[in-house]
Amino acid sequence: MIKKFTKKFGNVELFYTKINNSYYLVNKDLIKLSKKIKYKPESIGLFLGKEENGRFTPSLALLEILSKKSKDKIYVKDIGEIDFLYGKDLRERHIIKIEGEIKDGFLKFVQNEYDENLGLGKIKIKNGKIKIRNKIDRGDFLRRER
Amino acid sequence: MKDLLERYRSLGIKVKKFNIKKSIRITNKIKVSNLINRLKNKGILLKKIGFLDKGFYVTKSRFSLASTPEYLLGYFFIQEAASQLPAEILEPEGIVLDMCASPGGKTIQLAEKAKVVIALENQHNRIKPLLNNLERVSVKNCIVYNIDARKFEFKVDKILLDAPCSGNFIMDNKWFKRQTVENFEKNSELQKELISAAIGNLKKGGELVYSTCSLEPEENEFVIDYALKNFDIDVVKIKCPGDNAFTRIFGKKLDKRIRYCKRLLPHKTKTQGFFIAKLRKND
Repeated sequence: MIKKFTKKFGNVELFYTKINNSYYLVNKDLIKLSKKIKYKPESIGLFLGKEENGRFTPSLALLEILSKKSKDKIYVKDIGEIDFLYGKDLRERHIIKIEGEIKDGFLKFVQNEYDENLGLGKIKIKNGKIKIRNKIDRGDFLRRER
Repeated sequence: MKDLLERYRSLGIKVKKFNIKKSIRITNKIKVSNLINRLKNKGILLKKIGFLDKGFYVTKSRFSLASTPEYLLGYFFIQEAASQLPAEILEPEGIVLDMCASPGGKTIQLAEKAKVVIALENQHNRIKPLLNNLERVSVKNCIVYNIDARKFEFKVDKILLDAPCSGNFIMDNKWFKRQTVENFEKNSELQKELISAAIGNLKKGGELVYSTCSLEPEENEFVIDYALKNFDIDVVKIKCPGDNAFTRIFGKKLDKRIRYCKRLLPHKTKTQGFFIAKLRKND
């Protein structure tokens, strides 16, 4: 399921393992070590996302990795960065530029002016105007703990 | 409360409440100078903490640090100055065990230098914040277990045991109302069990840092004295702010090597209260 998701953004090879319904980015040393320890881990390496009800939800760490190699990006201004991190959608006035194809329903990595990943957005085009629907953003790190 | 205040006088601790400076630790995800400049442009000013590698006081901030994009991008961890010391003093390398890991500030510090960090957390509700922080900072070399550290068995090169403790009055306004000597003694028993398990998991020649944010001898010097009496270990001299730990207290004569451990007294270090000991398992 993770492969289906990453494939959308090009050929990114990830060495991962699965615990229950969650995926983790690992290396051989981590796997070797975990096999020597007799307990079941909660997590190993970097959390990449999880499967729920037949759907894959990427982690913010996975988006960060994929965004570095992707050409499907939207760059946003300061004001857009803050709004997006508060879980809001983006409007044209927030956008600096869009890279890659612009089509209704396309997923795009949302980047700030430093090309750092803030999350994932979906293009919505209505009456010729572009809106970016917030699918997931790094503000989630705060919201999760509330 | 009166008894505890008298006890503190005998321990040389001035009970003067003050607000400690907010501090952060910059992670390996960004170049230190880049983050300083980015935050400066937003009106957040930082000042280097002299005794720490990547610790900074926040001298001016107009808004909550945790709501900045830089925090959400994992470029820093909000972490009190004294609590940044144990992981630095351990000098992590090889396989490192973090016995009481959540919320993960020290785990992240360890992971920046260790080959692998094995992070243990006993309380299930503290696992989520730990995993969130590891993901936020993109830590790739950590394995997390939800397990009582006293039961964990695996030999490692280095161990950080930042033990559960009674805390201190700087971080808790009602500390004197909440705490009793019986509490300290109860904590001490748990801490002795934890340090015993830690030494059991340490390879010969391996090193262990024991720390608490408590100023009570029962939770600090007495625990180290117990470890020195029962295991083939030695105390390693450490370089950090603070007073030498007690070797005579409450009518008890403790192992002289304990003087190499440090107690950070708030009125002197301007940090929260802290105790740090570094031990080496003999070959």
